[in-house]
Amino acid sequence: MTVAAGIGYALLALGPSLSLFVAVISQKPFLILTVLSSTLLWLMSLIVLAGVWRAFLPFKTTPSSSAWLPYSILILSSVVFQEGLRVLFWRIYKKLEDILDAFADRVSKPRLFLTDKMQIALAGGMGHGVAHAVFFCLSLLTPAFGPATFYVEKCSQMPFFLVSSMIALAFVTIHTFSMVIAFNGYAEGNRVDQLIVPVVHLVAGMLTLVNLASGGCIIGIPLLYCMALFTLLHCGKMVWKRLADSQNR
Amino acid sequence: MSPVSICMFLVVLLVYSLTNTSASSAVRTAANLVYLESPTDTPAEKLEGALLNALVFVILIAFVTFVLVLLYYYRCTSFLKHYTRFSAFFVLSFMGGPIFLTIIQHFNIPVDSVTCFILLFNFSILGVLSVFSNGVPILIRQSYMVALGIVVAAWFTRLPEWTTWVLLVALALYDLVAVLAPGGPLKILVELASRRQEELPALVYEARPTTNANISGSRGGSTLAGLLVAGMSQNDGSDHGVELQAVSASPRTNIGNYENEIASESGHMVINMDNDDEEEVEVVREDQEETSPLMAGNSRERSRSPMMYESTDNSSRRLNEVAVAEMMRPRRERDGDEMIEVMNGRGIKLGLGDFVFYSVLVGRAAMYDLMTVYACYLAIISGLGCTLILLAVCRHALPALPISIALGVIFYFLTRLLMEPFVVGTSSNLMMF
Repeated sequence: MTVAAGIGYALLALGPSLSLFVAVISQKPFLILTVLSSTLLWLMSLIVLAGVWRAFLPFKTTPSSSAWLPYSILILSSVVFQEGLRVLFWRIYKKLEDILDAFADRVSKPRLFLTDKMQIALAGGMGHGVAHAVFFCLSLLTPAFGPATFYVEKCSQMPFFLVSSMIALAFVTIHTFSMVIAFNGYAEGNRVDQLIVPVVHLVAGMLTLVNLASGGCIIGIPLLYCMALFTLLHCGKMVWKRLADSQNR
Repeated sequence: MSPVSICMFLVVLLVYSLTNTSASSAVRTAANLVYLESPTDTPAEKLEGALLNALVFVILIAFVTFVLVLLYYYRCTSFLKHYTRFSAFFVLSFMGGPIFLTIIQHFNIPVDSVTCFILLFNFSILGVLSVFSNGVPILIRQSYMVALGIVVAAWFTRLPEWTTWVLLVALALYDLVAVLAPGGPLKILVELASRRQEELPALVYEARPTTNANISGSRGGSTLAGLLVAGMSQNDGSDHGVELQAVSASPRTNIGNYENEIASESGHMVINMDNDDEEEVEVVREDQEETSPLMAGNSRERSRSPMMYESTDNSSRRLNEVAVAEMMRPRRERDGDEMIEVMNGRGIKLGLGDFVFYSVLVGRAAMYDLMTVYACYLAIISGLGCTLILLAVCRHALPALPISIALGVIFYFLTRLLMEPFVVGTSSNLMMF
């Protein structure tokens, strides 16, 4: 609508990440590097997915809502791929942690603390979230800086940009914190945590399919925010428990 | 990393706000000598023309570099110095001027021509002064370096599309050859400079303040330890850089630079040295009469230079060899901070040519879409990181362009051709994952 609106939409999607970045991540250069490399990794995953699916796009859909099936397969495959990549990310992080610990031992300094490990996981998750927000939301925002706005028929109550920013915000939250949950799950071998992350991701992805129906976003977006809230709460509970445990030890 | 980011960000901003107005004014520059691209040509014609353009440009650059090597060989240092000053003035006033005017026109800023002229003149003169003198605060010098990079990059983005891409690839290849191949001009330059233990007059961005203390090796031992630690924490095996103050006839300065080493603003990883390592470095230091302050290592990165000026890099110092060896053992705990940070506070010294071509790549990506900008930005930053790591491993002069440009070009085309239909298709239907 105007420059102000454009900046507003961008901040809506990325505001919390920005404040998290300034408060936590910019203090330690290593975390900045983690964010950058994590974003790069997810960008590459998106490119690979796009390369695979390019041949099938754009979907030829008849008006009778048979667009559900191809899109759901698309989302399913993408989520599965990204979760697989998360496991890879974890393995790389494990190696890095070993190297760092070895160096720490050599110069007889303390090893990585639990909070440091969690911060690295947070930075990794933030990279994922920022990659998602930029590629799914910000890249479409350029017209929003101009004089007009755009509505999608399926969701005609709000401008398209607003809807996509809100969805992006929910996803950013989910991605950022599920990385922390996942890393903790892998570190402790906790099956529940390990499985919760892909499930949440898949459910969130599938929820957006609801947006294909007319007026679907009224149901879809609040449910998405419920997922985001659930991720946040679960992550908070888990971190609290872990910190309390390690202090008691 | 952050000056590069700022430069790229400002160029993107400039490109976004000025794309409408510049329209299709076909500028005939040195990069366009052979073939002027027009939208009606077939792809084959465009490719052919772009290749010819790139070839001519690279030959021109190679010729100029050889001339500079000759001049340096015959010790015409003051000529080089004056030439660099002239080119800084020229770039800022005659190339920055039209950009300035376009901004004024685009945003309807009410300013009269006399004021405008005076402002531009002052701006350029200050730029010339800050580039080569020591009395100017480091922030001003850094800003002017970034400004120079922005102006040249903005001009390069006016080239037609095919020519730009082929040119970038050709320049990356040229950089590779010129620095690493046995007969390459930049390699000769580096060797000459290192043999003479001198520094080249060149335009280089440096991220930490330097003072020109004319002491050579006479320092109190007590301060030396502290300074060394501070000093080492500034540099790390990478980047190049010439001390800009070297131009004057006192090459043996700069041991005092360590005093002003503050953690560089760039917020990079700092590799701090442990206290135990100091003695070794100390011994070597006393042998050195002249050092290039803070330079780490043999490993320098060379930078490319566009037509206007050469930004070349310097040679290595023996001190730095040891310093690099020390620095490869990182890890030191920060005060009170539990995390062991791999901190690398290199006073980044990056040649201006690198700035320009990274910004050209990102600016050209900006003309397509924001997605490509982000992808190319990430590619360039990671390419830079890879080059720095390689530098720490290889320890001799390395070209800064090839890896970043290669990654950037690959990511641009992949994003544009593959990712965009995919992502735009799903997200405009409000489906995301």
